[in-house]
Parts: sequence; structure tokens; C-alpha cells
Amino acid sequence: MKKRSEETLETPITPMIDVVFQLIIFFVVSAAQQNDLIDLSLNLAQAKDVSAVKKNDPLTVTINVHEDGKVNIALQEMTMPQLRHVLKSTVAQYGNRVPIVLRCDKRALYREVDKVMAVVGEAGLYRVRIAAVAGGKD
Amino acid sequence: MAKQRQTEVLQVPMAPMIDVVFQLLIYFVLTFREEIPEAHLAVNLPSPDSRPPTPDVKPPQLLELTILPGEVQIQGRSHSWQSVQETLAYLGKIDDQQTVIIKTSIMARTEEVVRVLDLCKAAGLSKLNLVTLR
Repeated sequence: MKKRSEETLETPITPMIDVVFQLIIFFVVSAAQQNDLIDLSLNLAQAKDVSAVKKNDPLTVTINVHEDGKVNIALQEMTMPQLRHVLKSTVAQYGNRVPIVLRCDKRALYREVDKVMAVVGEAGLYRVRIAAVAGGKD
Repeated sequence: MAKQRQTEVLQVPMAPMIDVVFQLLIYFVLTFREEIPEAHLAVNLPSPDSRPPTPDVKPPQLLELTILPGEVQIQGRSHSWQSVQETLAYLGKIDDQQTVIIKTSIMARTEEVVRVLDLCKAAGLSKLNLVTLR
């Protein structure tokens, strides 16, 4: 009889560890995905003669500009005053050498790009690049 | 007795194997990301400093491109895309350090701007300045 009560007190450790590992893997993987949110809905223009970027400066701020003029950073939509605020705080924190990459939809009017560039220039940032899909040559 | 023992040895534990395979499958599906080769075209913006430039001093070599909706001009003369490419390649060969001013109409498409920047890069021109036409 005594032996039986000892048996019921045992906790099944192995499946518990299995579940915990599952959770750990899930959270680690989903957290890593948060870091590089890329707006895949944009249709970038083709650049035939420029080779693809291999390594990006980790400080780079990527600004996405949609055809309708909507602007977002890491999928978070922003108005121009918000963008100005974000860029100004970036400059305050990291200086004005932070590279800016503009990912613009190829159908977007230059007017929309110009608005963003004006805000970027106003914040004092000058390392500006326009993103395109690298084609063919590498 | 001997026969039964042999069949036991041949059995492969399938369930844990499937567990591990599913784990791997989930891991690779979650971490998969299609890599899009992206090129970054560097441009110079007008300085935020709003002082008017001194009118007398003109840089020695200035190449002026104008992008209008559906039209590209080099030094004020309209060119086809083919001709733009040839002209830029020719000018790039002469002097690839010359300053290029790209005046862009606000009604032009980004695609056209990228195409011009791309052609400039292909011609070896690197001092590209983007100015907006209003």
C-alpha cells in the first residue's frame, strides 16, 4: 500500500520538458522574425546594372513609400510629423551618419518620394539610398 | 522463442522519429525567408542649409539631366531611353567624376528615376545629385 502512494506522487517530467522546449523554440523563432520586418507588398523598380547589397549597416533606417503616398517604417504606418519625430530622435541618438534606404513603389509619383526626402534632409540625414531590385548581373 | 526475438529487433521506433522530423519541419518553415536581391542607389540630396549658393562660382563640369513624366532630357534636349544610355556611357567615359544634377519633376514615376540612376551607375558616374523640379 505504501508503495502505491509513492507512485502517485511522481510527476511526469519528460512530457513537461517537451512542452517547455516547444514553447522556447516558438518564442525564440518568432522573436527573431520581429527584427527584420520587410514590406513585401511594395513593387520595387528594376536596376539592371547595380549589384545587390550583401551586407547592410545595422543602423540603417528603411522607409517604405507606397504608390498612394503612405509611408511606413517596419510596417508601422506613419504620418509626416511622426516620421520627422522618428528621424530627429534617430539623429539625436546615433548622429546624422545613419544610412537611410528608401524603398519606393515603382508606380509612386516622385512627389511622394520628395516629401519623404524633404523630411529626411530636414532631420539632417544625408546618406540616402533608393532601393531597387537588383537584376541579372551580380 | 528465437524467431520471436528476431522480429522484435527489426522493429524501428517510428513515433519519436516522426516527432523529431516534425520539429525540424516546423523550425525550417518558420525560419524560411525568400531572399530578394536588393540594390541600393546612393544619391546626394540638397543640403538642408538653406543659404542661397553663390551665383558666380560655377562648378567646371555639370551634367544636367531632367526627368519629366515619360521624358528624359540631357542638357535640356529630349532623348529616348536608348539615346540616354548611349550618351551617358559616352559622357561617363570622358569624365566619370563630373557632377550630375538630376532634376526630377514631381509627376515623374519612381521607376523612371531609378532607371536614370541605374544608367548613370552603369556609365560609371557616381556624383549624382537629386533635385526636385516644382
